[in-house]
Amino acid sequence: MAAAQGALATHRRAYYLYLIPGAVGFLLIVLIPQIANFFLSFTVWKGIGLPRWAGLQNYQRLITDDQFWGSMIHTVLLIFSMTVIPVLIGLVLAALLFDYVRDQWGEQVSSFFRAGFYLPQILPVTTAGVLWGWILSPIGVVNIILKSLGLGVIAQNWIGDATYAIWAVSLMIVWIQVGYCLVVFMAGLSRIDPSLYEAAELDGAGWWQRLFSITVPMLAPEIFVVVLTTLIAALKVFAPVFVLTAGGPDNATLVPSYLTYYHFFTTQRVGYAAAIAVVQTILTIVLATIFLRFQSRQQATE
Amino acid sequence: MADATLDFSETTSRADVATHSHRRRGPMRWVVLAILAVLLLGTLFPFFLALINAVKNGVDYSASGPLSIPTRIDLGSLIYFWNLSDFSRKLLNSVIISACVAVFGALLSLLNAYAIGIGKVHGSRVILVVLMLGIMVPQESIIYPLYYMAKATGLYDTQLSVILIFAVLQSAFGTYLLSSVLGSFPREIIEAAEIDGASTWQILWSVVVPVLRPTLMVLGTFFFIWTWNEFLIPLVMLVSNNNQTVSVAMGLTRGQNMSDPTLQAAASLLGILPTVIFFVIFQRTLTRGVVVGAVK
Amino acid sequence: MTSLSRLALVAAASLMLMSSTAMAQQKTFNIWWFEDPVSSEGIAWTKALDEFKSKHPDVTVNFQQKTFQQLQASGSMILNSDQAPDVLEYNKGNATAGLVSSQGLLTNLDDYVTKEGWDKILNSGDLVLSKYDDKGIYGSGHVWGISVYGEYVSCFYNIDMFDKAGLKVPTTIDEWVADMDAFKKQGITPLALGAIDTSGQHLLASLAYTKADDTWIQNYQGLKAPLDGAPYLYAAQTLVDWVGKGYISKDSTGMKDPDAALLFTSGKAPMYVSGTWNLGNFASTIKDFKWGQFVIPTPKYSVGSTGNLWVVPKGAKNPDLAAEWISLTLSPKYQTELANDGGVAIAADPATITNPVGKNAAAVFKQISDKNGLGFYPDWPVPGYYDVLNQKDTGLFQGTLTPEQFVDQIKKVYDDAQANQ
Repeated sequence: MAAAQGALATHRRAYYLYLIPGAVGFLLIVLIPQIANFFLSFTVWKGIGLPRWAGLQNYQRLITDDQFWGSMIHTVLLIFSMTVIPVLIGLVLAALLFDYVRDQWGEQVSSFFRAGFYLPQILPVTTAGVLWGWILSPIGVVNIILKSLGLGVIAQNWIGDATYAIWAVSLMIVWIQVGYCLVVFMAGLSRIDPSLYEAAELDGAGWWQRLFSITVPMLAPEIFVVVLTTLIAALKVFAPVFVLTAGGPDNATLVPSYLTYYHFFTTQRVGYAAAIAVVQTILTIVLATIFLRFQSRQQATE
Repeated sequence: MADATLDFSETTSRADVATHSHRRRGPMRWVVLAILAVLLLGTLFPFFLALINAVKNGVDYSASGPLSIPTRIDLGSLIYFWNLSDFSRKLLNSVIISACVAVFGALLSLLNAYAIGIGKVHGSRVILVVLMLGIMVPQESIIYPLYYMAKATGLYDTQLSVILIFAVLQSAFGTYLLSSVLGSFPREIIEAAEIDGASTWQILWSVVVPVLRPTLMVLGTFFFIWTWNEFLIPLVMLVSNNNQTVSVAMGLTRGQNMSDPTLQAAASLLGILPTVIFFVIFQRTLTRGVVVGAVK
Repeated sequence: MTSLSRLALVAAASLMLMSSTAMAQQKTFNIWWFEDPVSSEGIAWTKALDEFKSKHPDVTVNFQQKTFQQLQASGSMILNSDQAPDVLEYNKGNATAGLVSSQGLLTNLDDYVTKEGWDKILNSGDLVLSKYDDKGIYGSGHVWGISVYGEYVSCFYNIDMFDKAGLKVPTTIDEWVADMDAFKKQGITPLALGAIDTSGQHLLASLAYTKADDTWIQNYQGLKAPLDGAPYLYAAQTLVDWVGKGYISKDSTGMKDPDAALLFTSGKAPMYVSGTWNLGNFASTIKDFKWGQFVIPTPKYSVGSTGNLWVVPKGAKNPDLAAEWISLTLSPKYQTELANDGGVAIAADPATITNPVGKNAAAVFKQISDKNGLGFYPDWPVPGYYDVLNQKDTGLFQGTLTPEQFVDQIKKVYDDAQANQ
């Protein structure tokens, strides 16, 4: 017995070795650059030549920068379209496709729909921006359809009007994100014991009831993963804003990543951009940690 | 509590058999199908736009805009973009980079997750959270340091730099996913192998990986697609045209002051096709286990 | 072995060694540009490169078609590395060429200017954007780059629609407004505009420059003093007035330049204010109606400048070849070629130009540059001002910003940069 335990203990130590490649990669690609970025946030630098020490100057500037605070608010709004809505739609669609459609129409049809809804995920965002720009422009498809249905009064300048621009960006983001949620949820559904559904149906539970009382709790692990990853992605979102509205109109869709890109590459205020990035990263870490705490608490009570 | 499903790859067939015997085919199914079809058409409409504009003549576009059906099919923009961007080269580069990232990223994730999920090394929780930093980092904030590091090691303007960077960044997600899956891997099998005298390496490759293969395939597929569409880091790291990827080549359609819409549509179409093909081939792997978490 | 034969062996060996190293040192000449291959510059320069190759059979000439996007984002990074070529096209202005020259990343071209005789071809106005001082501000200092073409903003107009309405090309702003009014009365929105894009700020600047004098332009572009907002206030008020009267559509804030250009090319809008970069596209795709361009009526200044610069990176291995290339593109042969391809040649002899579009463009450009009326672009003084102007423009056009607020906000950004140089 002691010999076996001794063998296990050696094995346990051996497992640490497996972390070495990951650790090295992490050190070089993530940790060192992040530390460098942190130090850069205390300097004034144009990207070439030598950085000049500037203390807390960038952070002081940050606090009074309206653009920065505006971008933070927009990010919170985008969490809605990047996380909440796609997860909800993804859940319903996944249940529908996996459960109902597969049953009534067969595996092929179900797979076909899933592939179709996933397609926006594989499109390069730059392309999506061009295409959605055509659709949402004042003379674009959406308005044409509205007008032909006699709803012309609703037609707006979706991208160019500060009130609606953020919703235009949100729409494109939802379109892109649903596919990811759908695929992950559908994969997870295959893991659920169908006898649970049968039992519930025998008890008289309807489709929606079964969704909420069985499917959602059973899919908890997938839901957690998807919510966490889309949440982090929402805080980092850059490309959709970049290609569709360029942060406008008049900064109405500005997000932190766009602001950092702007200062890193256009104004070449690298130190200031680094400061914004530091704040952004800290915020992400805080939110992710809160979420992970929540997740492990939920899983512990199961 | 639900029973532990130990056998990851067989659950699909169980669900299959069970449901088919149970439900009737009602008229409601047509309604649902119709609703889904409308949603799907709406979802795919932008692709349709890309298609009709990619084969549209420039004069046509100038006269009637992006929403009109082309009066004739003109492959000019497609051919022009293909030659201009040396597209076959860009395609090759994108495939090489994405495939390498898929493989190395999955490998890295596997090694990390093995230590965390099965080895349950001390401080696993902390390690996991720290590795997650890899996803949380905005790419813009690490580009300048990575640029200087690449220059210093002679890796600037090489595909290897991009592969290494993305393999590490993507592995953050991969580690999270895999360690969650491995966390609920049946311990008895591992312990049995250990008692038989197998080393951790042997256990990994002959016991764990075969079971995990579906999940690894899904991970690899995700990594491939995500890396394919990456834009900022390849733009900065890959200078020479010969090294560049498809997403960087898209920049050719937008000049300093002008952008050519039919060319953009053509470029979009060419940019989508490879991933669509790849996706169609690997669609089946996405059905199988992304079995994420603890089913205790 | 006798000492003689040993000597012969050594001699032969060293001869072979020398010739092989000589062959290994065969020159490669790397050149990049990002002008579109179907643009007039692209066509003319490709022909010039062919001639260059045949003139130097011993040199391997490597050309790479670059994208503006890449050089915009990482131009300074590339110049700061070993990957930089021998000569490349680079964006003119303080924020781009000025920045990298002040960081020591470019080769000083002063000697070549006299040696190759570029100062005989280009007048002082043409060289203004070639010079940058130690701080990277244009106008004075060494010559760091050479431009070989020009660009300007004008009003493209639909000749057929004008004729049908019985209108003439305006020579004053008032006449221009009258023309717009006439169209409006017929129910046609006269002016196409892509407010999210460059055409918005170019129209704004064109109007502002009509109220600008030499001091204002020099102070503005040189970041020499806090912003005098008066010309911009006039421009903003005028634009708001025009939106109110329906000369510019409120929808324009959702449109990018290609959308606005489309309104023009499809015959819906009779006028479109934008730059000469549209010439190539318009010339090849507008078949349904006759079109032309007129300079926006102004006492002196127009939005325009000399074109992008040929620059030679600091570590270039063949600066002499680079200089030769620049001379080639400045030569009468290729200046005429550029004009005949529809481009705005900076120094072509009008008598030799056969393409009417190119002939007109060169003439207009000469007209502006001869009186030193190139006001340059409004976003140049401050890095990132381009985005600021776009943002604030949309506020103005939408009505969420009053002209006074607009000027205040752009002034704040400008003054901030000016004070922190």
